[in-house]
Amino acid sequence: MPAPPSFFERVFGETWLGRAAMRLPLAFMVAFFLIPLALTYVWSVFERTQFWMKPGFTLFSYVNFFTSARLENFLWSMGHSAVSVVIAFILGFPIAVFVRRRVPQVAQHRVILLFLLPFMVSEIIRVFALRPVLQRNGLVNTVLMDLGITSQPITSILYTPTGVIIGEVMSFLPFMVFAGFLAMEALPKYVFEICEDLGAGRIRTFVDVILPLAAPGIFAGSVFIFVNGLGIALLPNILGGPGAVNAGLIATQAITALDFPLAMAVSAIMMTTLLGLLYIGHRLFDLTKILSPIT
Amino acid sequence: MDEQYGSKLTHRLKWAYTLLLVATLMLPSCYVIYISFNEHGFGAAKYDFTFDWYKVIFTDKLLLNALGWTLRLAVLTTLIVVPFGLIAAKFYKTTRHKVLTVAVFLSPLFVPGDILGSALLVFFKNLSQMFEAFSDWLGNEWFYGWFDLGFFSALVGLIIYALPYVFIVILITMARYRDQQTEAARACGANAWQAFWHVEFPQIRAGIFSACAFTVILTFNEYIRTSLLKGGFDTFTSVLVSQMLNEGMSESSYAMSSLVTYIAVAVIGSIIVITLIRTESLEREARAKAQPAMAS
Repeated sequence: MPAPPSFFERVFGETWLGRAAMRLPLAFMVAFFLIPLALTYVWSVFERTQFWMKPGFTLFSYVNFFTSARLENFLWSMGHSAVSVVIAFILGFPIAVFVRRRVPQVAQHRVILLFLLPFMVSEIIRVFALRPVLQRNGLVNTVLMDLGITSQPITSILYTPTGVIIGEVMSFLPFMVFAGFLAMEALPKYVFEICEDLGAGRIRTFVDVILPLAAPGIFAGSVFIFVNGLGIALLPNILGGPGAVNAGLIATQAITALDFPLAMAVSAIMMTTLLGLLYIGHRLFDLTKILSPIT
Repeated sequence: MDEQYGSKLTHRLKWAYTLLLVATLMLPSCYVIYISFNEHGFGAAKYDFTFDWYKVIFTDKLLLNALGWTLRLAVLTTLIVVPFGLIAAKFYKTTRHKVLTVAVFLSPLFVPGDILGSALLVFFKNLSQMFEAFSDWLGNEWFYGWFDLGFFSALVGLIIYALPYVFIVILITMARYRDQQTEAARACGANAWQAFWHVEFPQIRAGIFSACAFTVILTFNEYIRTSLLKGGFDTFTSVLVSQMLNEGMSESSYAMSSLVTYIAVAVIGSIIVITLIRTESLEREARAKAQPAMAS
């Protein structure tokens, strides 16, 4: 016998109120995430005033960005982020493959969970903590000198692009493992057995089978690292030394200088880069495939 | 174990590499903890164990005040974002527009904090001005300060930051749940709330508690969005970062950094241990259930 409708049913059931409640998080995201980000394009063409901005149409902020050293800095930070993506892929993706192929099914998630530990330590702490590790009298130099590998401390790591790349890899590598593993989880294990039965070597299996099938996960991990490397101001600020800049730092510096249209132009450029990458990735690899193991 | 693949040595080397990578990623945080207990601080030739730098934190009124604000933010964010994540995951399961829904809920992961924080800062400043202008037009001050930068704007930034993680954790847990169980409960006379509370919730409880834990950690960790949106008050990480940027890494900065790390490690460590124990007990239960059937 069907039970009378409860309070929960009345609120979340098939009434207009229920349907509205089910859409509340979506409405929140539209109001406070999608609309502000979309409006960055509008605000970026506003005119700058002394302390704020006023409605109008000017491309001054874009001209300011594209004809100054900011563009060069942006392109340099893109290069660093791309290098970080490659390093994170080389270091992290083989772990996703190893765990999926060689670790028993029941233990796979436990191994991946281990990477949650460094990922959940505050990003700020992870970035700041690299200073005492990498600096002149830091842990790395002390160990290298104690072992007799170097006689002088290495000073070309911290406050250089190398320091920023190390920071990006250390901060975001777990995400490559997570996204890679999620993509590998969508592959049935018999695929590897078929490859072995057909006599495909390790390299051929990796290049012709694993890479194309895991491409959505690899792409998602790569975009995450690339965009965050471009956008997190703390990385060049703390590890890059004077002159090291990325898009996030340009935006926050513009806000500090009360140049809001410039900050919004940088945000708009970042959003365009991100949307472009995600669109290309989705067209090439169908990014929804990553979620197939969990849905 | 799949011993037919590769040699034992290669297998062990791969294990060693995996564990080494986790250790390397944890190394900087562990080194900071190590320094935080040295009476002489970083770079000193001598190492004398002390708790003094932690005592400094707990006697600093500015820090305690900041810690209070962070706790308030953490509690409120958790209370809002976890139900949001649950509703979003349920919405995802029923909607036909899955790609769009996933794109909306997961895209904050891909937007760097500085960019989102800047956009929200300008958004709230505009919103505040619009409401004030509306108030002026009405000839009163009713809508003054509604969207000024402060606790509410910081809370919004944190909800957007934490929602993708909560959504994905709950979605993963829900993937194991079969909707037919709800249908069966409803067919047996349970109403929607009873079916959710007595049938579905016990099976997704682990995901919901994990989501709560993640939200608390994320709130404690977050700096960029909060620092742009917080207005006049300070959070634990904003005090820490301003101290580090203005004065460099002092001994108490090491202790503060370590404290944030302890919270993350304790919570995530507990989740990992509980997950391991739970998986173990579920496996034992499954083996026990299978035993008589196999014996017969």
